[in-house]
Amino acid sequence: MAEKQYSMEKLIILFLVLISHFDAYSALAGETPKRIISLAPSITETLFALGLGDNIVGVTNFCDFPEEAKKKPKIGGMSNPSLDAVVSLKPDIVVVTTDGNPREFEERLRSMKIRTFVFGSRRLKELPGGIRDLGVAMGVRERADKLAKEMETTLNSFNNSLRVTRDASLRKKVLFIIWPEPLIVAGPGTLIDDVIRLLDNENIASRAKATYPKYSIEEIIHQAPDVIIIGKGHADMKEASSSLLERLKSVPAVKNKNVCYVSDSLYRLGPRVAQGIEEFAGCLR
Amino acid sequence: MSKIRITVLIIIALLIILCSLFLGPRVINPFGLSEVEKEIVFSIRLPRVVVAVLMGMALGAAGAVLQGVLRNPLADPYILGISSGASLTAALGLLSGFYSFGRFTLPLTAFIGASLVSLLVGAFGWKRGGLWPERLLLAGVGLSFLFHAILMLLMSVSTNEGLRRALLWIFGDLSMADWSLIPYGLVFIAAGLFIALLRAKALNALILGDEFTHSLGFSANRERLLLFVSMALMTAASVSLGGTIGFIGLLMPHIMRFVAGADSRALIPASALGGGAFLCLADLIGKSIFTPMEVPSGIVTAIIGSPYFLYLLRRRDVLSI
Repeated sequence: MAEKQYSMEKLIILFLVLISHFDAYSALAGETPKRIISLAPSITETLFALGLGDNIVGVTNFCDFPEEAKKKPKIGGMSNPSLDAVVSLKPDIVVVTTDGNPREFEERLRSMKIRTFVFGSRRLKELPGGIRDLGVAMGVRERADKLAKEMETTLNSFNNSLRVTRDASLRKKVLFIIWPEPLIVAGPGTLIDDVIRLLDNENIASRAKATYPKYSIEEIIHQAPDVIIIGKGHADMKEASSSLLERLKSVPAVKNKNVCYVSDSLYRLGPRVAQGIEEFAGCLR
Repeated sequence: MSKIRITVLIIIALLIILCSLFLGPRVINPFGLSEVEKEIVFSIRLPRVVVAVLMGMALGAAGAVLQGVLRNPLADPYILGISSGASLTAALGLLSGFYSFGRFTLPLTAFIGASLVSLLVGAFGWKRGGLWPERLLLAGVGLSFLFHAILMLLMSVSTNEGLRRALLWIFGDLSMADWSLIPYGLVFIAAGLFIALLRAKALNALILGDEFTHSLGFSANRERLLLFVSMALMTAASVSLGGTIGFIGLLMPHIMRFVAGADSRALIPASALGGGAFLCLADLIGKSIFTPMEVPSGIVTAIIGSPYFLYLLRRRDVLSI
């Protein structure tokens, strides 16, 4: 008997899950939501790029691009958004990401009958598809399609131009430094790693087991990267990285002055990725 | 402590140091150094080994001193809030954009914080012309909670990503060790160790009680103050060299009590030697095991040290401070 009750419960839960999904999809087909909350800087940027800036009513403390995003009400951090703040902004839909938001938070929102859209893209090649899905959910299918096409054109242009002209000897060994002290670099499975590959070069940290590993300095000296790219941080990165570069002075990248400082466009899987790829390509030329 | 045991300990320490220079993410043949390898050994590995040994010595000796002064086997240099105070000032420095001393900024702010907290703990522990062990301990625990909470508050409201990353350093990181900081660390640690060794006999007396101390002709208040200063110097210097490394200050004195006995005159140098060798070994393992990634040494010290300590504990019948 107890077992039967148990399986009954399971059925009910399944039913509820299905219902909630249909609910989510019915939102997808409808018109543009008036009140959108974004739980990630990359999503905020994408929503602005889709022309939905005026509909955004809440963003995270980290959303600082474009400039207008800074003026939106804040709902907390990415890993610790405030449920209170989100609910009190009475959103029509909350856009969450699988890359940084806690899963429980999204479940909690759904259990409170707040519509959510889960942005699941994490890698470069998934981005155009992700933008299209987001566009459908936000009722701006055409604009999203246009943005995604632009993205695909950029990606393909690099793919094609490289396939024709490159031979393996031109491939450079690259290291991307996120933070110099302690030394954190971009490892495998990151957007940065994807872009280094897209440009047909080799990320020397791709052997590491973590996405953003704390990296060994002597290993860098051994691996002798040809180019070092340093991302934007909170401090003046030229100053912050000077003593690290001093210690790496025998590495080809430093010896031949192939150290390049770039913006934060590749820290977020959003519309500025194309610009970030161009920047990288400039560094690697 | 028998001469044989001292000799064995010194030989083990030297072997570990040698291994740290030539083993690691890649094995280097000491008899055929290429240019690159020469650079790695002399400007990357050697300063790192020196920093590990200095920090380990400071923490081991400071632990032995503090457990005696506080008459408490659970005391370690961090229990007094020195590490959380150092982390807090370093974080505040970073947040206010204070970067005037370049790469010395973080060690310097950490050192200032550690010294200020030591003074503060001393002030709270001071009553009727002397330091009181129970007051020191409780004041330290109280301050430690306070600083830790403020630090967590900063971490949870700050959007400054650099702050989070720099705090990785405070949680124990030897990877940035280079020659520039070593002389400063060496001066403070040597001074602290010198005082501790000089007052080791008085520490023995203090452990047995204030009355006993007086009967031997020492002033308990004066000795406690001197030993406290020695502990604070060593701890502050160690935190500013490479952040907070757990386990050694708490458990190395206990391990050495099993090896060298409870007499502070042997225990302090043995804890220093053991601490230095052990941190060096832990750092070697930490940087080699998941190469090319590095595991912070503080994690390794606890993972390999604690089981050994528990094993020793099972084997012993009598425990003492």
